[in-house]
Amino acid sequence: MKLAGVKSVERAHEESVWTVAWIPPTDSRSALILTGSLDETVKIWRPDELDPVGTNTGHCLGVVSVAAHPSGSLAASASLDSFVRVFDVDSNATIATLEAPPSEVWQMQFNPKGTILAVAGGGSASVKLWDTATWQLIDTLAIPRPEGSKPSDKTGSKKFVLSVAWSLDGRRLACGSMDGTVSVFDVARAKFLHHLEGHSMPVRSLVFSPVDARVLFTASDDTHVMLHDAEGRSPIGAMSGHASWVLSIDASPDGTAVATGSSDRTVKLWDLNMRAAVQTMSSHSDQVWGVAFRPSGDTSSRGGGRLASVSDDRNISLYNYS
Amino acid sequence: MASVYIPVQNSEEEVRVVLDQLPRDASDILDILKAEQAPLDLWLIIAREYFKQGKVEQFKQILEEGSSPEIDEYYGDVRYERIAILNALGAYHSYLGKIETKQREKEEQFILATQYYNKASRIDMHEPSTWVGKGQLLLAKGDLEQAFSAFKIVLDGDRTNVPALLGQGCVEFNRGRYSQALDLYKRALRVYPNCPGAVRLGIGLCRYKMGQFDKALMAFQRVVQLDPENVEALVAMAVMDLHTSQGPGVRRGMEYMQRAFEIYPYCAMSLNYLANHFFYTGQHFLVEQLTETALAVTNHGPTKAHSFYNLARSYHSKGDYEKAGLYYMASVKESSKPKDFILPYYGLGQVQLKLGDYRSSLSNFEKVLEVHPENSETLKVIGHIHAQLGQTEKALDFLRKATKVDPRDAQAFQDLGELLISSDTGAALDALKNARGILSKSNEQPSVELLNDIAVLHFDRGELELAERSFREALGDGIWKTLIDSRPGSYAISSTASVHWYKDKQLFHQLEKDGFLVELPWRKVSILFNFARLLEELHKTQDAVMLYRLIIYKYSEYADAYLRLAAIAKAQNKIHSSMEMVSDALKVNEKCPTALAMLGSLELKKDDWVKAKETFRAASEATDGKDSYATLSLGNWNYFAALRNEKRAPKLEATHLEKAKELYSKVLAQHHANLYAANGAGLVFAEKGQFDVAKEIFTQVHEAASGSISVQMPDVWINLGHVYFALGNYSLAVKLYQNCLRNFFYNTDAQVLLYLARTHYEAEQWQDCKKTLLKAIHLTPSNYSLRFNAGVSMQKFSASTLQKEKRTADEVRRTVSELTNAVRVFSQLSAASNLRIHGFDEKKIETHVGYCKHLLEAAKVHCEAAEREEHQNRQRQELARQVTVAEDARRKAEEQRKLQLERRKQEDELKRVMQQEQHFERIKEQWKSNPSGSKRKDRLHADDEDVSHDKRRRKGGKRRKKDKSSKSRYEILEEEADMIDDHEEGEYDETNPSYQENLQHEERENVQDAEGNNSPELFVAAGLEDSDADEETAAPSASATRRRRAWSESDEEEGQVKSSPVREKSTENQVEREEGERTNDED
Repeated sequence: MKLAGVKSVERAHEESVWTVAWIPPTDSRSALILTGSLDETVKIWRPDELDPVGTNTGHCLGVVSVAAHPSGSLAASASLDSFVRVFDVDSNATIATLEAPPSEVWQMQFNPKGTILAVAGGGSASVKLWDTATWQLIDTLAIPRPEGSKPSDKTGSKKFVLSVAWSLDGRRLACGSMDGTVSVFDVARAKFLHHLEGHSMPVRSLVFSPVDARVLFTASDDTHVMLHDAEGRSPIGAMSGHASWVLSIDASPDGTAVATGSSDRTVKLWDLNMRAAVQTMSSHSDQVWGVAFRPSGDTSSRGGGRLASVSDDRNISLYNYS
Repeated sequence: MASVYIPVQNSEEEVRVVLDQLPRDASDILDILKAEQAPLDLWLIIAREYFKQGKVEQFKQILEEGSSPEIDEYYGDVRYERIAILNALGAYHSYLGKIETKQREKEEQFILATQYYNKASRIDMHEPSTWVGKGQLLLAKGDLEQAFSAFKIVLDGDRTNVPALLGQGCVEFNRGRYSQALDLYKRALRVYPNCPGAVRLGIGLCRYKMGQFDKALMAFQRVVQLDPENVEALVAMAVMDLHTSQGPGVRRGMEYMQRAFEIYPYCAMSLNYLANHFFYTGQHFLVEQLTETALAVTNHGPTKAHSFYNLARSYHSKGDYEKAGLYYMASVKESSKPKDFILPYYGLGQVQLKLGDYRSSLSNFEKVLEVHPENSETLKVIGHIHAQLGQTEKALDFLRKATKVDPRDAQAFQDLGELLISSDTGAALDALKNARGILSKSNEQPSVELLNDIAVLHFDRGELELAERSFREALGDGIWKTLIDSRPGSYAISSTASVHWYKDKQLFHQLEKDGFLVELPWRKVSILFNFARLLEELHKTQDAVMLYRLIIYKYSEYADAYLRLAAIAKAQNKIHSSMEMVSDALKVNEKCPTALAMLGSLELKKDDWVKAKETFRAASEATDGKDSYATLSLGNWNYFAALRNEKRAPKLEATHLEKAKELYSKVLAQHHANLYAANGAGLVFAEKGQFDVAKEIFTQVHEAASGSISVQMPDVWINLGHVYFALGNYSLAVKLYQNCLRNFFYNTDAQVLLYLARTHYEAEQWQDCKKTLLKAIHLTPSNYSLRFNAGVSMQKFSASTLQKEKRTADEVRRTVSELTNAVRVFSQLSAASNLRIHGFDEKKIETHVGYCKHLLEAAKVHCEAAEREEHQNRQRQELARQVTVAEDARRKAEEQRKLQLERRKQEDELKRVMQQEQHFERIKEQWKSNPSGSKRKDRLHADDEDVSHDKRRRKGGKRRKKDKSSKSRYEILEEEADMIDDHEEGEYDETNPSYQENLQHEERENVQDAEGNNSPELFVAAGLEDSDADEETAAPSASATRRRRAWSESDEEEGQVKSSPVREKSTENQVEREEGERTNDED
C-alpha cells in the first residue's frame, strides 16, 4: 500500500483548517471534500483538482467539525460557539440549526443509514443524537460518572467527550474523552456498555473498521494508535510512531490500513497486518488536524482511493491511496 | 712427557722432575729447589704446573716461598724472575678478587694483589708485565681510567705488547668505544696470530656491539673452532641465534646454549637466556631455578638485573603481583640505568598499575618512554594512567600520539575515542569509527563495546539512523530481533491490557514454548537498553517497551529498565502504572536517587505535595546532596510552594523563595554550567521583581540551550518571554512564545498559547488574542477558563472599537457580532456552571453577561447609527450616481442637439454637482455632531436607575460600589486561579497592587473626564477596566502555574533521560577498561 501526493492547495483557508470530511457522490455529481476552519468558514472542494465549489459562512468562532450525510446531499458543520448548522450541500440552504445547551459540540458523525446524527457533547459528558428527519434531539448517551464521585467533584471535565464514531452496522457508538477513556454504547437500547482501556490522554479521534464492526481504532495525545475489540474490552494492539499527539485517524475503505494525522506535522499510513507505519507524508508544515479517506461508494474517479488531509498550515492535501 | 731438570748444586747432575708427577706435597719440591738453589724460573714453571693441574694451594705455596724476603736476599740480582713470581701472585689474587662475590674478601684480594704488584714495581719500575698486571687488576676493580693509563704506559713502550693490547681493548670495550676496542684486538691478533680464541672473542663482541652481526658470528665461530669449549663464544652465538626469533634460529641457539650450559653450568648469561626460553615455554619452575642459580653465580649488575627480571616476569605471569613487583624493583635497582635495560621498568609499571599505584606506575612508564619515545604500547598505558588520574588533557595527548605513531592500532583509537566521549563527541566518534575501520580492514569483528560506543555517540548527536545501525550490529542476532522485527502479532496482543502488563511474563513463556530461545547475554543488556532508548527516541515506543520487558524478564534487578517503563507510562499520563514501576525499581535499590526523583515528580503530578517533598529529600540524601537533580527538584518544590499558598502569606512565600534560591545556588556551585539551576535562579529573581537580572540570566541560559542539540529546554524560552512581557516588550515576548511552541511542543501546548494570547491582549491586539485563545480552546476543549478569556477578549475588542473616534459601519457590525459571541460564550459558561463543570462564580459570569448585553445594546444603537449613516451615504452615492446618469443622458442629448454649447453647459452641470456635494457635506456634519446626543440617550435607555439631579453624588456612589465589587472579584479570581490548574496563586503578586492602582487611577481619570464631559460612556469604560483586571490576574496566575509545571516536567524528563544513557555508558567504559588492562598485562 502506498500514498502518493495528488494535489495540494495552499492557503485553502484564511486560518488553520481544523476538520475535513468527504461528501459521498450523488447522482448528479461525484464526491466532494468538505473542510472547516478557524476562519469561521466551511468550504467545499471538488477533487482531484481541489477546485473550490463553495464557501459557507455563518459560523462564529472556529469551525471544529464537519460531517456529511451518507446520501451526499446533506452536511453538518459545527463551531466553537456550539451551534450545529445542517445545510443542503448543493444549494447551501440552511436546513436546521441545532443546539443543546449547555452541551458544547465537538466531533459529529451521521450513522451509516443516515437516520441519526451523533454529536460529541464536550463537557456534558454525553453524546447527543439528533433525528435527521425532524431534527429533534432523540437521545442523550451519557457516560456514567465513576462511582463514589461527589457532585462537587471536578472530575466532570475529565469525561469531556471529544469524538464519536459509529460502528459499521450502526448498532454501536463509541466516544472518546479527554481523560483517554473510550466508551461504547448500545444505540438501540441507548445503553452504556463499557469503557475501553488503554489511553490516559485525550482521544480526539476514533473510527470503526469499515469491514469489521467490532474493530475500533483510536488516536490519542499519548502518540499511540490503538486497536480495540469494541465488544471485548481488551485492546488488540498498539502502534507507536508519531512524535506528538495523534489528532485524527481514518480507516481505508478496504480495511487494511489506517491513516493518521498528528501534531508532529506528518500523515502516516499504517499497515494493519504489519502493525507498523509503512509511510510518512511530510507535506504539511504544522499540525495535521484531519485525515479522511474517500468512502468506497464512488467509482467515478480514476482508479485508487483518495485521502485528504488538512492542517494548521491552512493547506489541504490530497493523496492517491493504492 | 714434559719434565724439568733441577741442576744439583756443585755437581753436573740434575734432578729430573716429571711435571705430570709432581708430588702432592709441594714442600718436597720446595725443599729440593731450596737445597739446590734452583734458578727462579724453575720455581715459576713448577708453580704454574701446579696451577694448571688445579692444585692452587701448592701453586700458592711455591710462589709465596719464591717471593719471600730470603729469596730476595739470595737471588738479589735475579730481577726478572722475581718480578714474574710477584706478578703471577698479583694476577692470581686479582682473579680471586674478581670472582669473589663477597665485597670484603674481594677487597682483601685486591689489596693483596696490589701489594704484590707494587713489590714487583719496586724491583723494576719499567717492567711491562707488571704494568699489564696492574692494568688487569684495575680493570677487575672496574677502574677503567687508571687501567687505561696502566696499559698505555706499556703500549707506549712496546706497541706490540699483546697482553697490554688485549687489556686496552677490554678497557675500550667497557667504555663503549667498540671500534677502538676492535682496532686493539685486531692489532693483538696481527702481532700474535696464534693467540687463543679469547682474542677473537673480543673481536666478535666488538663487532656484535657495532651491529656487524655477520662478522661477529664469524668471529665466534672461529673461537669455537679453536676452542670448542669456549662458553662465552657458545653463549654469544646462542644469543645471536635466539635474537633471530625464528624457529630454526631459536632451536640452534638453544643447542649452543645447552652446550655452553653443559660445559660450564654457572654462566649467568646462559642461565638467563635459558630461563628466558623456559619462560616462553611456560616452564616457570625451571625459570625460577635457573634464575636463582644465575643470581647466585654472578655479581654483574646487568646480568643480575636480567635474572631478577626473568624471575619477576615469571611471577607476574602467574599473577603474583606482589612478588613480581619486588623482583622488578630488584632488577631496576641492579641495572640502575634505564637506558640499558628498560624491560623491568615496563613490568614494574604494569604491576603497579595493577596494584593501583598509579603515580609510581606512571613514573616507570615515563622512564620507558624516555628510552623509547615512540612505543605505542607505552603511550597508550601512560594515556590510560592519566585518564585514571583524571588528567584528561594529558591522557588525550598521549593517546593521540599513540594513534599517530601507529595509525593501524585500533585499540589506541578506541581508547582515544572513549576518552573523548565526555569532552568532544565529534572527535570521539571519528576516533571510534577509525578503530572500527581498522578492524574491518583486517577482517576482525569490532568489539560489542566499540559498536555500542559508536552507536551511543550517534545517538547523542541526534544521528538516530546511524545509531540504530550500529546498535543492531553490536547486538547481532537474538530474541530481541524476533521481538521487534518480525512482530509476532499474536504475542503482543494482550500485552498492554492490564495495568500490570509490564510484569506479564506470559509473552516470553509463550515464545519459549514456541521454540524461540529467549536468551540475553549479560554483556549485551546495556546495549539492548541503549537500543531501546533509541527506539523511544524514534517514537517506536512499543518496540522499546518490548525490549525493556525482555530485560526485566531476564534480569529482574535491572532498575533502569523499570524506570524507563515508568517514564513511558508517565508520558502517556498513566500515573498509576508509572508509580508502580518506580516502586519496583525502588525494590531493587531503595536508595536509587533516580527512582526517588522520578517518584517525587510523579507525586507532584498527583498533587501530593508533602510526599513529593519527602521523596525529593530522600533522593538528595541518598546522594549526599551531590545529585543536582534531586537538589534542583527540591528547589523547584520550594519555588512552587512559595506560590502555592492560597492565602498569600508574604512571609512564607519569602522563606520558600529564599530556600529555593539557596538550593539553586548550591547546584550552581557544584556545576557551574547547570542550565536548570541557572534557570531556577532566574525564576527567583523574576519572582522578586528583579526583571533585569532575571532577563540577563534567562538570556544566557537561552543562548546556551539553543546552542546545544542535546538540551531540550522550552522553559527558558517561556521564562524569557515572561520577563520580556513583564518589561513591556510584547513583540519579543510573542516571538519567544511562538518559537517555543513551534520548536518544542509541536504547537500543542495550550498553556503557552495562553501566554501568547495574554501578550496580544496586553498589546491590545484583540483579534490575535481571540484567535490564539480559540486555538487554545481547540487544543484543550475542557479548559473553560480559556473560553472565559476568549469572551473577555471579545468584550474588550468591542469596547475598544466603540470608544474609537472614527469607525465604519462594518467595524461596528463586527463589534456587534463579537459582542453577540461574547454574550453566547458567557451564557454558555453560566449555563455550564450549573453543572459544576468548572469553578467559575456564576455571579461573576452574570456580571460579564450583563455588561456585554448592556454593551451590545449600546452597540446596537451605534450600529443603527452607523448603518443609518452608511445608508445615507449609500443614498447620497445613489443620488450622485443618478445625477451622473441624468447628466449623461442629458449630455448625450445635448451632444446630439447642440454640440457647440456643450462646454458651457457642462460647466453649469459641474457647478450644480459641486453645490450638491457641499450640501451633503453639511448633512454629514450634522450627523457627526449627533452621536454625543445619541450616546446620552443610550445611556439613559440603558440605565434603569433613576438619574438623579445630583450627578456628582451618583458618581461617587457608583465608584464605591465598583471598588467593592472589584474587591470581591479579586476573591473570586483567586478561586478561579485555583480552578485553572488546581494549583496556587499568581506569581506577579506585585502586579496586583499595581493593577489596582491603575484601576483606581483610571477611574479617577474617568471621573474627572466625566465631570468635564458628562459622558456616561466613560463609566462603561471604567467598568471595562475593571473586568480587565480580572482577566489580568487570572492569566498570570495561570501562566505561573504553567511555567512551574513546565519547569518541573521537562526538567524531570530531561534528568531522567539524560542520566540513564550516561550511566550506561560509564559502566560500559569500565568494562572496556578492564579488558584494556588485561591486554596490557599480556604484553
